[in-house]
Formats: sequence, structure tokens, C-alpha cells
Amino acid sequence: MPYHEFEVSRCIPERKKHAVVKGPGETLADALPAGYLNTIPGSISERGCAYCGAKHVIGTPMKDVIHISHGPTGCTYDTWQTKRYISDNDNFQLKYTFATDMKEKHIVFGAEKILKQNMLEAFKAFPDIKRMTVYQTCASALIGDDIEAVAQEVMEELPGVDVFVCNSPGFRGPSQSGGHHTICIAWFENKVGTVEPEITSDYVINYVGEYNIQGDQEVMQDYFNTMGIQILSTFTGNGSYDGLRAMHKAHLNVLECARSSEYLCNELRVKYGIPRLDIDGFGFEPLGNSLRKIGLFFGIEDRAEKIIDEETARWKPELDWYKHRLQGKKVCLWPGGSKLWHWANVIHEEMGVDVVSVYTKFGHQGDMEKGIARVEEGALAIDDPNELEGLEAMYNLKPDIIFTGKRPGEVAKKIRVPYLNAHAYHNGPYKGFEGWVRFARDIYNGIYSPIHELAKIDISRDAISTEGGFKTQRMISDVNLPDEVKNDPSMRQYTGAYDSLARLRGKTYPVFERTGDKQVAVEMATAE
Amino acid sequence: MSCELLQKERTGVINPIFTCQPAGAQYASIGIRECIGIVHGGQGCVMFVRLLISQHLKESFEIASSSLHEDAAVFGACHRVEEGVDVLLMRYPDVKVIPIISTCSTEIIGDDIDGVVRKLNEELLPTKYPGREVHLIPIHTPSFVGSMVNGYDVAVRDFVKYFATKGEPNGKLNLITGWVNPGDVSALKHLLAEMEVDATVLFEIESFDSPTMPDGNHVSHGDTTIEDLQGTANAIGTLALNRYEGAKAAKYLEEKFAVPAVIGPTPVGIRNTDAFLARVKEMTGKPIPRSLVIERGIAIDALTDLVHMHLADKRVAIYANPDLAIALTEFCLDLEMKPLVVLLGDDNPFYEDDPRIKRLRENVDFPMEIITNADFWELEDRIKNRGLELDLILGHSKGRFISIDYNIPMVRVGFPTYDRAGIFRHPVVGYAGAIYLAEQMANAIFTDMEHKKNKEWILNVW
Repeated sequence: MPYHEFEVSRCIPERKKHAVVKGPGETLADALPAGYLNTIPGSISERGCAYCGAKHVIGTPMKDVIHISHGPTGCTYDTWQTKRYISDNDNFQLKYTFATDMKEKHIVFGAEKILKQNMLEAFKAFPDIKRMTVYQTCASALIGDDIEAVAQEVMEELPGVDVFVCNSPGFRGPSQSGGHHTICIAWFENKVGTVEPEITSDYVINYVGEYNIQGDQEVMQDYFNTMGIQILSTFTGNGSYDGLRAMHKAHLNVLECARSSEYLCNELRVKYGIPRLDIDGFGFEPLGNSLRKIGLFFGIEDRAEKIIDEETARWKPELDWYKHRLQGKKVCLWPGGSKLWHWANVIHEEMGVDVVSVYTKFGHQGDMEKGIARVEEGALAIDDPNELEGLEAMYNLKPDIIFTGKRPGEVAKKIRVPYLNAHAYHNGPYKGFEGWVRFARDIYNGIYSPIHELAKIDISRDAISTEGGFKTQRMISDVNLPDEVKNDPSMRQYTGAYDSLARLRGKTYPVFERTGDKQVAVEMATAE
Repeated sequence: MSCELLQKERTGVINPIFTCQPAGAQYASIGIRECIGIVHGGQGCVMFVRLLISQHLKESFEIASSSLHEDAAVFGACHRVEEGVDVLLMRYPDVKVIPIISTCSTEIIGDDIDGVVRKLNEELLPTKYPGREVHLIPIHTPSFVGSMVNGYDVAVRDFVKYFATKGEPNGKLNLITGWVNPGDVSALKHLLAEMEVDATVLFEIESFDSPTMPDGNHVSHGDTTIEDLQGTANAIGTLALNRYEGAKAAKYLEEKFAVPAVIGPTPVGIRNTDAFLARVKEMTGKPIPRSLVIERGIAIDALTDLVHMHLADKRVAIYANPDLAIALTEFCLDLEMKPLVVLLGDDNPFYEDDPRIKRLRENVDFPMEIITNADFWELEDRIKNRGLELDLILGHSKGRFISIDYNIPMVRVGFPTYDRAGIFRHPVVGYAGAIYLAEQMANAIFTDMEHKKNKEWILNVW
């Protein structure tokens, strides 16, 4: 029987279909948990709402935009300074957030008037910003304010201003995933195709489903620029509003987080015929293959190979240093959605750890399908986990580390399991070759921190060592390593800088001559 | 040249100082032992508040959601509260107290949480959980009224209202702390212990600063018991330190059970701590002991080292929960500093009549602005566009970028303070709090002098 029944959830039998153990010889048909169903009230699930899925996850990483939420202040306050989506324009989108501050009288008499005043005030306070997104909340959805109409009025009154409206109240769907869907479709329907971009390369892409957590987008952008590829837009990390209005002119959609934004790629394919290429910025091999695939698509494989060779030579010795020391360590891979399959196999292959459990808060069955296919036999897969199930799983599986969010990380701390922030990272970026080494370094630092050894000692009961006032991580990690590995001069610990983005910002890139044939093809595509 | 009380003129909020009511009710709820609240609304209303609290305290607390989905928004969602209570009770056998905390969405759709509680009390509890002690408490905290500050105030009142039961006088003092940190509760309990006063503390949140234990089974929770709450009706008096966070409960106990209520002072700074002790003395008849004279003397000694030379005339902006913001303003004045801008982040109409604000308006002899319904743009706009110059900012972490972008040193105080380590552990109340605050402010200014090479050599011989 593939389903896993938690002791703590015996009393809610419907939970049984949400967890499976990947048994020997079982296919995905035997072992797929139910997914994306309504949450059981009172279960202390970790899910968020569809407003945050739209606004906080996808909308706000757009960097040159006033982001207003139409509702009471709480929704705005909550989704402000709680993620690490940075940008190269001094983080405007991280620093400023806007709420219409809906009060009781507005609930009764309508809040369209204050919405309009708000929008005008916000443009006045930031005269250099001409773009705005307005997010519906539970309150404004329920009172039925016509946000679109107000946005239209404001655009008429303020020439040069453009406003995007996203109607994704918190209650829309079982989790934040509903919001991802809503905002993707709304953006596609209302904004894509409203700006004509300047094409500067023969190779033009949209980079979709990438939110620039700790600089991931900037790392990948560096590779694309090095290959002479023009990134028309990034949806949405470090992305600009007008860039995203011009998505229809790309030759290829390069999709990173399929969970949150495959909807958009699918629409772009149907309407504009832009093919979708799923890629993966995490891990040497998946990343290398991703760059190769993009190179192959454009006929510039050599440029991809050059990057892969250089980066592998630079960083592989550092990844291997960690791989030897992380061998066989047990990991609970407990992210929000897509990282469960982005990371599942590659951390085993390239860092040597064993994934003993995966979970997803807002993923769908398709995410589990991919995730379970990639984990080791015996791994426990949980959909929409809750507090008690997480605890039970940690007690039973005894992981050496878990990758999850900040708050569940605090739960893990109490039962002395080190945690690594899977959503916002500890010391990222984690994408790119260097980023992958940073991830390995963070895992190593997490597992081998001397604090975890100390945490297990009961001074009232246990023997207390009086010899030696310290331990280093290596005194713990290298205990059972063979000498030839310990002393292997071909491997080394991470040697990059604390801020690995600094060297990328302001970097100049080679200019590739555009070929005539390609030029014609692009112009033909543009003319269509 | 005096103190003005102004209101933000803009309609909207650019960078909010406070969040909404349900967050306050949730923060209050985790102070009670064997209590897990259910927030009746969308899942974000809980998920983000839990995240916020865990960022502040570096701990996780259990709060549940009724997980409102689309159908519920259309057809009503009372059944999800019923199911939620049942699921909680089944899975958490120790839980006795379940506040049902409403939000904007469920107030708008008109879900009758009082009716649900009645129904559960009549049907589910006696049939499925006979003999089990369960308390269901509806708490109405629509997000479109007031702020997290009211939410806290309302929740404390509703907990007290539900539990307080007339019995034999218990000789204890009710101490309602308001929205404070674990370090503050320790400091307050220390002062009461020195005075040999037995108190019921709402809420016992010292345990929020909780250990990682060798057996690895610790769950963080508050420690105020049902018996504590019941006994509040039988106290010799209630001292609510904050006018806007806890006074409602104190007044309820006075009206219903004739337990005398004393509101304030918020014991931040020497003078307010003195007044706090005076109140305790009045209410209990216990003298202020020599030990506190010494403790106070140590604080006076520490402050004397700082005031004339280093803190005098330093221009400060202050934002925090209202009682804390006002008390910090008073303390800064005693330290010879100049609070130029005080931001109160909600539209509470009672600020106008607050005696402390009246006194500031009557006596401050430099231009001080107290801005109500304020957001962070009120402060940033003054700095960026209107020539306001500051030497220091006192406030919580959400305002960190003003400090960073305009190069103004900042001391973290209040809630939340996630961008500095361990702030929750240190008291700002009592004599210990006075020392901590003054020294934090001085050290922040010293570090800034060194970074900016602004007379940094002065410290060579201090």
C-alpha cells in the first residue's frame, strides 16, 4: 500500500491520500498523492492565500512599479519585506509598498473613490515611476469594487501612466497557487503585446518563472548575455513592466518555475507561436544541459559549451569538496512548490545527499509526479503538510537537515534539526555554477555546525568532555573521510565572495555580429 | 515652536507602520497556555502573521486557519469553523482554549461566529468531547477597523470577559502588560517581586524566549493559565500599563466585578517606572524597597554618563505601538533629546484626548510633530523632500530602509524587530529598560560618528 498514514492524522482519514512512500518497484501510478485540494480547516497547514500568490510571489518582484493592494493594510504589511527578491534598481519593489487602507465606511459605501485617490497620491509621491499594479484582496473582491474602471480613469487622467489590475482575492483556490494562475493569465490578456520592443540580437528570449531570489536572475542573465542572447523580459524577478508588455516578440520562452508560470508560456505559445523550453538553473548538469538546449535552439551551442567548460573548471573542484563530505546525509526537501523536483535528483547526484522526504505546500499532482520520480526509494512524499505531520516525519526520518521556510525552520530547530531556507535561501544566490557551490557550502555549514552537537548534550545526565574548548566543522565532517580525500589537492572549499553578484553588475559583454539571414527572419516574425 | 498633533493628509498608506486587527488578536492568543486560535478567513491572514511572529521571536507558534476558499466566500463558511474546531480538538488533546478570530472577509460575508460557538457548545462538544474542558471564544477583529493595536486590546478584553469568574478575593494584582516582549515581562515581574507583590500577568510570555532542549521536544507557547484568567475577577485591582492595549479589559473588570482599574503608566524611562512603582504601592500598600532605590540609582548613574555630553539635543524620530511611542518620547525628553517626529500608525480617535499627548502639546518648546494615522512615507517625505534632519530613529524593523537609505542610525524597539538579533530578550521597561535603551541609543550614535568620521575622536577620552 503506497499511502502513508500519519499517526497524528488518523482522525482525519482524508489526509491519508496526501502522503505516499515511494516503495520498491512501484510506479507513479501506484504512488501519487492527492494534490491541490481544499485545505482541511484547523489542520495547521502551511499554505498561504491566492492574493499572496499573485502579489507577493509573482507581481512584486517587478522592479519599476508601484504595487498597490486594494484593501485593509494587513495584506500589504504582510507581503512586504518577507521575501528576498532583489533588483538592480536599488530594490524599489522591496522598499515600497502601498495600501488603500480600506475602512468600515468604505466596506459599506464602496472604496473606488479612495482607490483612485490612492493611485494619484502614489504617482505624486514617486513622480519617476509611471507603472502600477493594483491587487484585489478579499475585502475589495467581496464589496465588488470595479478596479478595472478606476484604473482606466487614472490612465486617462495621467498620460504616460500604465496600470495593471490583478483580481486574485485571498480565498481564490486552495492555496497561493490559484494566485499564480490568475496573475499569469491577467498579465497575458491585458498587457502582453502592448509595447513593441527594440530587438538587438538574433536570439531573443523571455525568461519566465524566475524571481531573482538573492540574485538568481542576475546570475542566469549573465550567462544569456555572454551567449549574445537578448532577454526581452524576465517574468518577473528583476523584470521591468514594459519589458513584460513586449513578451510577444521573443523567439523562445525559457521557463524556470513551471509551477508558477507555465500558464503564461502556454498562452504565449498558443497565441504567438513562441515555443516553450523548460530549463533548470540549479545544479551543474541540469544547468549545463539547459544552456546547451538554448544554444541548440539558436544554433549557438559553442557559446554554451564555452560557458559550461569555464564554469565547470572554476567551480567543480569546490562542489566536489562538499560532495565528499555530504555523502549519505539525509535531507527533507520541503519547499513550497517547484523546488521539490528542481532539486530532488540533482542534490543526490551532485552533492551526495539522500532525499528521505519531499513535500509541497501548494504544488499540484504534476509537481509530485516529477518529484517522486526523482527521489530515492523509500522517500516519503507529503502534499499540503501540516505542523504535526511535519514533526512526526522528522521524528521518524531523523533527517540531518531540512530545506524549508523560515517558520517551519524554527519548529525544526526545537527538535534539533538544522534548517536551510528553501524559499529565500541562506546565503544565495543558489542558481548558476557558483550558486550551486554556495548551496552546498550552506548545507555543509548547516549540518556540521558544532552547535548541533552541543544541542544534544544533557549536562545533567551525560558525560561532559573537559578536553578542548572548540570544534571546527572539519573536525566533525572529516572524521571518517579517507586520507586521500581529506588531502586531495584537486578539491577545495568555496572561494567566492560574500556578495557574488557584485562582479556581475556593470559587467560588459561581447558584441556578436548579427547574421543577415537571422535578421530577415526576425523582421518577418516582427511583421507578423 | 511647540508640539502639534497632526493627521496624515493622504488617503492611502505608503509603507504601513501597523498591520491589521487579527494580527493583534493572534499575538494575544499565543500568550495563553493550552490555547490554539482559529483565524476565520483566508489562509494568508494566519500564514503571514505566524511568519511575522516567528521572524520577531525566532520561534514558531501554533495558530490555525479555517482556510476560507472560494465557495465559502459565496455561501458562507461557518461550517469550516465547526470542522476546524473538531480537527483541532481531535489532534491536539491538550488544547482547552480556542479563540475564533474573525477577519475582513468573514465579517463582510456576515458569518455568525457567535452562533457557531453556541452551536458547537450545544452539539459537538457534549456529544463528541463529553467531559473535556473546552472554551470557544469568538473574537471580532475585522481588518478594516483600527489596527493590530485594537486587535490586541479587543482580544485581551474578550479573553478576560469570557473567563473572569467571581470568587474569593485572591489578594493579587492583575498586571496587563500590553503588547510587550519576553524581556519586558521578566523586568516587570522582577520589579513586582522586589516589592513582594503577587500578580496575575496577562500575558505570561517570558516563555516565548524558549530553549532548545537536549531531548528535542520543546514547543513554544505562552504560560497564562485558565485559572489565571478566571481569577482576574477576584484581584485587588488591575494595572493596565498601556492605554491602547489592555485598558478595555481593565475597565471591564472594574465595571463588572468592581476590581479597581488603573490605566498607565507605560513604564518606559525613569519617571514612568517611578510612577509605575507608585501605582503598585498605592494599590497593594506595599512599600518600595531599598533594593529598588539601588537599582534606580544604577540607572540614574548610567544615564548621567550619557545625557549632557552625548544625548542632549539629538534629533529623534519615533514610531512604535502608540503607548510605547509616547512613552519613548517622554523618556527621550528626560534625556534632553529632541523627538521631532512621532508617528502613530493608526486612526484611533482617542489620541486627541490622551493626557500624555495633551501634556506634550502644552509643554514642548521645540517643533515636535505627532502624526496620527501615519505611514512611513510621513517620515521619509520629511527627510527626502522637506529638509528634516535626524540624528536617530527609534522604531521597529519595517522602517529599516529609511535608516539605511538616509544614513540615520537606528535603535530597534517594539514589534517586529526581525533585523537585529535578540531584541525581544531585552526589556525597555523598568530601570533595566531605561539603561538598555539609553545605552543602545548612545552606542548607535557612537558607531555612526565613527562610520561618518563625525567627531569620532571625542570618544578617545570619554
